Order: sequence, then structure tokens, then C-alpha cells
Amino acid sequence: MNIANSTELICFIILGTIVIVGALGVVFLNNIVYSAFLLGGVFMSVAGLYLLLNASFVAAAQILVYVGAVNVLILFAIMLVNKREELKPIKGLQLRRILSGLVCSGLLILLIRVDLTTTWNLPGPNAIGELSTERIGEHLFTDYLLPFELASVLLLMAMIGAIVLARRDVLVSDIGTGESADQILIEKKKTPILIDKISQ
Amino acid sequence: MTVLVASVNSGIDIELSFNEALKNVGVSPEIAHLLWIPFPMGLVLIAAVIGVLVTVWLERKISAAAQQRIGPEYAGALGILQPMADGLKLLTKEDIIPARADGLLFTLGPILVLVPVILSWLIVPFGQSLLISNVGIGIFLWIALSSIQPIGLLMSGYASNNKYSLLGGLRAAAQSISYEIPLALAVLAVVMMSNSLSTVDIVEQQNGLGLLSWNVWRQPVGFVIFWICALAECERLPFDLPEAEEELVAGYQTEYAGMKFALFYLGSYINLVLSALLVSVLYLGGWGFPIPIEWFASWTGQSIDAPLIQIFTASVGIIMTVIKAYLLVFLAILLRWTTPRVRIDQLLDLGWKFLLPISLVNLLVTAALKIAFPIAFGG
Amino acid sequence: MLSFFKKVTEYAKDAVGAANYLAQGLAVTFDHMRRRPITVQYPYEKLIPSERYRGRIHYEFDKCIACEVCVRVCPINLPVVDWVMNKETKKKELRNYSIDFGACIFCGNCVEYCPTNCLSMTEEYELAAFDRHSLNYDNVALGRLPTSVTTDPSVKPLRELAYLPEGCMDPHDIPQDKSRAGKLPLEVLELMNSEDNSNQKDEKENQTVFIKDKSEE
Repeated sequence: MNIANSTELICFIILGTIVIVGALGVVFLNNIVYSAFLLGGVFMSVAGLYLLLNASFVAAAQILVYVGAVNVLILFAIMLVNKREELKPIKGLQLRRILSGLVCSGLLILLIRVDLTTTWNLPGPNAIGELSTERIGEHLFTDYLLPFELASVLLLMAMIGAIVLARRDVLVSDIGTGESADQILIEKKKTPILIDKISQ
Repeated sequence: MTVLVASVNSGIDIELSFNEALKNVGVSPEIAHLLWIPFPMGLVLIAAVIGVLVTVWLERKISAAAQQRIGPEYAGALGILQPMADGLKLLTKEDIIPARADGLLFTLGPILVLVPVILSWLIVPFGQSLLISNVGIGIFLWIALSSIQPIGLLMSGYASNNKYSLLGGLRAAAQSISYEIPLALAVLAVVMMSNSLSTVDIVEQQNGLGLLSWNVWRQPVGFVIFWICALAECERLPFDLPEAEEELVAGYQTEYAGMKFALFYLGSYINLVLSALLVSVLYLGGWGFPIPIEWFASWTGQSIDAPLIQIFTASVGIIMTVIKAYLLVFLAILLRWTTPRVRIDQLLDLGWKFLLPISLVNLLVTAALKIAFPIAFGG
Repeated sequence: MLSFFKKVTEYAKDAVGAANYLAQGLAVTFDHMRRRPITVQYPYEKLIPSERYRGRIHYEFDKCIACEVCVRVCPINLPVVDWVMNKETKKKELRNYSIDFGACIFCGNCVEYCPTNCLSMTEEYELAAFDRHSLNYDNVALGRLPTSVTTDPSVKPLRELAYLPEGCMDPHDIPQDKSRAGKLPLEVLELMNSEDNSNQKDEKENQTVFIKDKSEE
């Protein structure tokens, strides 16, 4: 084993450990902010794994999308609603935990089985490295055009939904009694009208 | 992993000769490669820090001139050592972590802000092969790395346990993510014209006819959008809302002192220099002299491959890149004392309602022109 | 469709207008760069305070009669006059006098009203201290005379803008004997005296004319 290989192995071990420990931390930590930051760390080490696989474009896209957009948005949401809340104890929490634990360990066993039965060193095509950017673009606009467009339509729908939810005045006349509410009145009251009407 | 390549020019390969020298002593080539790795890293750090020192000095002197003051005067001739004095002061200051702050995140925040910025220097070319790493995804790497920064800002804003810090961090993140989109779209238009993400290819494609073939003539709108967005990403005036003194004390840096503050300070200035360098790479022909060097060589009857000419070309390249970048830094400083700070709603309005549609239209027009005039717009 | 184009043109006009204003602003800032600095290198150069500068107050213990007028005219009754009545001589005996310059607003009322002129304004303005209590000057501290800017060998005195010769903006390298623009107070006084004399003559003549007019009526 030469130095290049061993460096790769060491990098892989470090990144893998970060991914696993970080993911466990995201789930088990009580502080939600720590969880969010750890999630960012996990995303970054996954990008590192992509780099090890010679997929630099995917790695950069991973960082741009998951770290730069998704994780920042999660953090944003957490910090804008920076409220410490005592959660009420849920009935039958123990049972729920046992059940979800069972499901998770079942999944783990399944994955381990897949891991053991698969022959891993497949004679796949050689890594194309730098050319991968072009190849991804080609695929996106030929073979995978439909999923690509579907994904963008889905995102558009989500965006419009977010806008409708954020602009309360659009919804006010539809919900509750059905009468249209005055926009100025809403601004004057500054109370979450939606919640009020539902609770009444 | 990307291979680190650094050489003075294509004629003289420092890495190769370094490895040869070590091989002669009896070191295996792999060990030699390992020993080589710290050099480019050190080079980046030194270049970035020197760039920052010069920028800080320029910032102080130009600000002073714009306000009819003298500026730093006593530390060295013309106050040239003032940035060093600043740095030394910050170095010797007490490192304070507020009692109710989150120590771990508080320390990690500034590092997360600085490291991506320094890493982005990998892709800045000063000459044909005068860069640390000619990564295929070049400019995209920079965009991806600069998206890590808001995490660090949010982290330090949250960890300071201070309302001003938190607000500053949130503002910084909001600003950063909203200006990244028009920035990326402006870059995309350039990339479309040069058919490559690599910074070296982008510059080479601009240097056919010297001054006339610079991207700024073909992408004037993109140039303006990129510059505005770069200023916003660097949190320079008029977009310095995250650290607006009158409202937020110092934003996310409020609780920081000593070396941790210095990291923020360094980060912001390295980012400024980096943005200026990238503007010159993307739009102002990078290392290219306004009149192509090749023409000089042919006029004087010299071969372009002659070692002397090569060294000359390399030094002209470095000087041109630095001059262009520092002219842009000068413009940024001038803008600082010209424009008042925008409000947060104006900032987001400008980003989402002005720059984003304009950059989309710019992209569309570029694509159309590329199909219509493939000769002029890199078919 | 037409309204859409109209909107687009308006949008573009707005953008161009904004760019225009920005360019104007930049031109102004750039123009400032070629102007000379107007600042004074403070600890090494100092401006000479003007004649009626209201600086730190000087106080002469021996002249004071402890009348407390200064306390009464002070907006915040700041001066502390510590005296006792000597029963035998039936006179006030002054023990201590102090003014806290951390609270003083340098309005000069005490100086104005002091019947014995024991208070006066100096040209000292460097009152920085590490402890605010050390700004509470007692009669000894108040009695000290400040070092004049013009006699301090370590300081280069510079004239203020109003005291520069005509057409001069830079206080550096101006010969000592060159007089300031306009007239000096003494010259003004002379002029006023001569004017007064002529005015009196004029007034007399006017009066006689006035009397003549009346008598004619």
C-alpha cells in the first residue's frame, strides 16, 4: 500500500467517523441548535466523501445546496423562533421509543445484510473526473429531463405555497366564517388571525 | 482529491525541481510530494495576508484622503506599518469568552468564516499556470465555499448570547444567501461564454485581442451585478447591515475580542481582495495586459518560449492581476464613503426584485447571443 | 402589452437614474481626494485658542472675598466656597474653594459676575483624567496657570482659520509677522473712536438741520 492509498484510507476513515458520529449527534442531542450545526458538519463530510470518489462537481453542489441553503435555512428557522419550551410528556413514550427502536434496528439489519451480500468491487466505468460537469448537464437535459422538470415544478409549488402562507391576507377571507377581513385591521391587530379563528 | 500544482510558469516547474532535488538526496517521490504540500498552502496564506495588510493600509489612507485627513502617519513611512501594528495589538489582547456564551461554538464561528475564504484562493490565477490548483470546477468551487460562511456567522451570532450578535448573524446569513443567487447567475453567464468553469480557461478566452476582448464589454450588466453582489457578500458599505454600528453595535462581532476578532477582520478583508481578484479574472481579463504580450514578442522578434520572455510574461501577469484587483478595491473604498447604508428591506428588495430578474434576463440574453453570434460570444 | 413595455422603460429609467446619482456621488468623493488635509497633528501641533476662549477657570485665592456670587450665578451652583465667620473681626475667612470641572459647562457666568475679578477663563482645554474625581480642582489647582501653546517648546502652534492672512487656508508655514485678514481689535477700536468722533459731528449737524426744519414749520 503506497502513501496515496493510505492517505485516501485515512481520509475515508476520518470522514466516515464524522458522518456517523455527527448523524448520531443530530438525533440524540437535546440542544436543537447543536443538532443543526452538526447536520451541517455531516453534510460537509459527505461532500468530502464525494471528493474522495473524484466527483468534485457533486461535492461542490452538495456544499452549495445542503450546507449553503438547506442547513442555513434550518438554522434560520431555529434562531428566528429561539424559544425554549418545556415539552409535555407524551403518553406511552416508552412504548413509542421501543417501537421506533425496533423499526430502526430492523432497517440496520437489512442494510447490514445488503452490505454483506453485495459484491462491492464492481468493474464499473472509469471515473471521468473533470468531465463530470458536462456529463451531468447532458443527462439532466436528455435522459432525466422529466424528473428534473418534475422536481422544479414541485419546488415551484412549494414556493407558491410558502408565499400564500406568509401573506396572511390572502387566506383570511377563506378561513373560518368566510367573511373577508380588512387588511388594515389585520395590521392594526398584529395578532395571528389564523390561530384565533381556528381556536374560536 | 485535486492535485496541487504550483509553478512559476510553464517553462520552470518548481514542484518538479523540488521533487528532483529531494530524489537526489534519497527521498521517495511520495514523501517528496507530501513534503511539497505545505508550500502552496503557505504561499496562499502569505499572499492572502500580505494582500490584506496592503488593503487595510489603502483603506485607511484612501478614507483619510476622502475626508481630508492624513490617516496613519507615524508607524513606518506614510504609516505603512499601521496594519502590522493593528495585527500585533489584536494578537496581544486578552482572549475573552463571555461568561454565558457557548464556548465551543464561539470559538468555531470565526474559524468557519475564515477557512472557506482562504480556501477560495486556490482558484485565483496570476498567470497561465500561476495558481495553486487548476480545479476543473474552478469558479463553482468559490461559489460553493462562500456559501459555508453564513453558517459561521450564524454560529458566532448565536454563541455570543447577545441580541445584537444574534440579529447581526441572522442579517448576515439572510444577506449572504439572497445575494449569492444573482452572483451565481452572473458567473453562469460568463461561464456560458467561455465554455468552462476553470478560471484559467475563462481568462485565456478573454486574452485574444487584449483590452477589446475582455468580458466586461460583452457582459456589462453581469459585471455590475457581480460587483454589487460581491460587495454585499463582503458586507462592505453600502451593504454592511450585519455590523451596522448605529443599530447593532458591531453585529455578530460584538462580543469578540483579540485574535478571534482578528479572524473576522482578516476574513472580511481577504474576502474583499478575493472578490476584486475574481472580478478582474471574470470580467477584466485576469493577468492579461491590455495589449497582448505575444504581440510584443513578435514585434521584437523574440520567441514566446524564451526563458527571459517567460519570466517577463509571468511578472507582467502578476502585476496586471494585482493592479486590476487593487483598482477595484479602490472603487470599493470610494463607494464606502459615497453611498449611505441601505435598510434591510431595501437590501432584500434590491437583491430579489432587481438583481435577480436582471441577472436572469442577462443570462437569457447571453444564451441567445451565444447562439446568434457564436464568434463574438464563444460558440 | 404596451403598458408592460411602459413599465419596463420606467424600470430602466429608474435604474439609469440611480446609476447617474451614484456616479455623481462618486465624482464628489473622488474630487475630495485631491484636496489637502485640513487636520492638525494634535499632540505635536496645536491650534492657538482665540482671545475669548472659555477654557479651564483660573482662581486667585487672595482676591476672593467669599461673597458666593459665583455660586448664585452658576447654573448648577457648582463652586464650593468653604468659609467661616470670624466672630472677633466679624469677617468671613475663606478656607477652601473648589470647582468640579467634570460638571462645569464653562459658561463663564462666575467669571462675569465676580466682583473682585478673582475668577478668569484660561485657554487650557486638555482636561482628560483617569479618574473623574481628579477633575475636582481645589484652590491650589485652580491657581495654576496653564502652559501657553505658543510658549511650549514641544508644540508647534498653528493659527485658527479666522486668524490666517487673507487667501490662506493652510496654517502651516505662515510667517509669524504676517497679520490676519481683517483688522486687529486695537485697529477696530481706533477706527471706532474716529468714527464716533465724526458721527458725533454728523449728529450735531443733523440735529441742527432737524431743529431748523421744525422752526421752519
